[in-house]
Amino acid sequence: MENLIIGFQDVLNPATLFWVAVGVTLGYVLGALPGLGKATGVAVAIPLTFYLEPVAALGLLIGIAKGSAAGSAVSAILLNTPGEPSSAPTALDGYPLARQGKAQKALKMGLYASVLGDFVSTLILIGLAAPLASYALLIGPVELCAILLFSLTFVGGLSGGSLTKGLIAAAFGVFFATIGLEPETFISRMTFGRLELEDGLALVPLAIGMLAVAEMVLQAGNMRTLDHESARIVQGASRDDRVVTAAEWRRCLPVIARGTLIGSVVGILPGLGASVGSFLSYGATQRASKTPEKYGTGMIEGVAAAESADNAVVPSSLVPLFALGIPGSVIAAILIAAFILHGLTPGPLMFKQQPRLVADVYASMICASLIMLVIGYFGQRLFAMVIRVPLRLIIPGVLLLCSVGAYMETSSVFSIYVMLFFALIGFFARKLDFSFVTFLIGFVIGPSLELTFRQSIQILDHKAANLAGHPIALLFIALTLATVWWTARGNARAAAARRRSDLVLPGSASRGPASTETTGNHKGG
Amino acid sequence: MRRANVVSGVVLALFGLLMLLVVIPAQIEQGPEGVVSPRLVPNMMMFLVTVLSVVLVLTNYRPPQDQEPEEPIPVSLPELAALVKIAAVFAVSVGLYLLVSPLAAGAALVVGSLVVLGERRPVVIVMMPAALLIGLWLLFYKVLGTAIV
Repeated sequence: MENLIIGFQDVLNPATLFWVAVGVTLGYVLGALPGLGKATGVAVAIPLTFYLEPVAALGLLIGIAKGSAAGSAVSAILLNTPGEPSSAPTALDGYPLARQGKAQKALKMGLYASVLGDFVSTLILIGLAAPLASYALLIGPVELCAILLFSLTFVGGLSGGSLTKGLIAAAFGVFFATIGLEPETFISRMTFGRLELEDGLALVPLAIGMLAVAEMVLQAGNMRTLDHESARIVQGASRDDRVVTAAEWRRCLPVIARGTLIGSVVGILPGLGASVGSFLSYGATQRASKTPEKYGTGMIEGVAAAESADNAVVPSSLVPLFALGIPGSVIAAILIAAFILHGLTPGPLMFKQQPRLVADVYASMICASLIMLVIGYFGQRLFAMVIRVPLRLIIPGVLLLCSVGAYMETSSVFSIYVMLFFALIGFFARKLDFSFVTFLIGFVIGPSLELTFRQSIQILDHKAANLAGHPIALLFIALTLATVWWTARGNARAAAARRRSDLVLPGSASRGPASTETTGNHKGG
Repeated sequence: MRRANVVSGVVLALFGLLMLLVVIPAQIEQGPEGVVSPRLVPNMMMFLVTVLSVVLVLTNYRPPQDQEPEEPIPVSLPELAALVKIAAVFAVSVGLYLLVSPLAAGAALVVGSLVVLGERRPVVIVMMPAALLIGLWLLFYKVLGTAIV
């Protein structure tokens, strides 16, 4: 606590606060632009910090990371194109809310949930990082493999109404993640002789193509209808459509608390990431609701659930980084370089060797949360104006930004090819109701899943019976099987109900949801 | 969606078999003895895709009935048209990138998208790419201090 007070003394000066505010603003803008997320933002900004004091430099980078996590909700709500994959569940209810003329309400709830999730998660980081170091050692490759498998199955079963399609999408995601050099033997896998594929497919162009470009193509196909809706929305907006009411706060506060908890836990567990956190939170909220069928049509709780978890992941993902020196997320991996550059080597020893700088980082994080609230609140009106612009003027700009974002990842036109290829896959995945988000999560955790699976085979000496010595892994394997059984049973019941209705009303099947294998909406996304 | 599920299930099952029997053996070496084969995880994933695709077909296949109305096609014509138009704009843009310059490619992407989406006002067609490209230049070259190219 003493160090934390000194940390606040170091941070609470105009120069440092200015750079934190610059970071948050820059992050908010980058997060709002599809494809230019926190990882890209922090990576691009690291060279800018060379000439800054360590506290200001780290404050700027932390500001970008936090700001972009919150900013990604803006494009998810207004354009249905998440700034980052982790904001995809925000779009499920945020975009319908915007289409109903409640864009400002959704943006405000997104901001409040983001700030609360982020703030509480920062406190969790401060409280847990040092003490957790000894306990985190219990999570070895076998346990992590089981946790990743459970996460993938859970998200696959959750997205859309079809476990089968979810698992197909997840398997494809993991499959595409295996392209490139195999880490153990350095043998090329499915590179077709292309040098660009030796390092594997880059996540950024792939995600931009699948999420943003595919969505822009779909919106271009439905442009007239959507523009007509936008015009109608603008005319019909009332005050209640622009503010979060007391009743909505009462409904959303428990959702935010649950989302923050889920996001913090997911962030602490290495390799899961913000997408898993936001989807788990969204799913948990949907299942806990008395009206789960309304989710995906504009429920404010959906926005609160996704954003609180999404933003809670960022600070808590630094727990394994600070406790063990292991990055729990992409952003943590990128931040390692910045921390080392400014004299702070992440790991258990930093609490003894650099307590003041650690306290400065903590104080910067808390200040960034509060600055995010101010900047987000006063910038909302500006961001909400985007919805008044006709789609034919938005789509070209978004396509250009997508191309720049994809290109920047490798500075090669090959990234554009990757983006376009996955835009095509994303387009048909949406139309055929395959979950492209499950695909993306499979792709992101694929390398960790493969690595830990290989390590597990060796640790267990090729014998499944040796799993008995890994109770945490056994628990998650049981949870995986339970998820499959639970979801399959739900699908079978829905199919049986539909068959019964078919018997009563022959030929009526085509009037309802067409199949057991579809939800008929974009929950797959 | 039943028919679309059956068709996509058949296509994916065939894709999975093609990968398992042809592409993976041709594109991934077996690896040295004593280590886990580099083919293991890709094979597992494609096996999973193939099996699940067959499940998708089996759970959705139903013999056609006379009274049943025709199912709508999941992809509408305007959506397909938008896909083709935007793909064409990207093709021109990439061509310009390779033959002329990134600036020409960026301008062509914005102008082409505006035109295929129905924008006809000359001021917008000229000013919008100019504003976007200048904005990007300011952001990356001046604010962030990094080059795009």
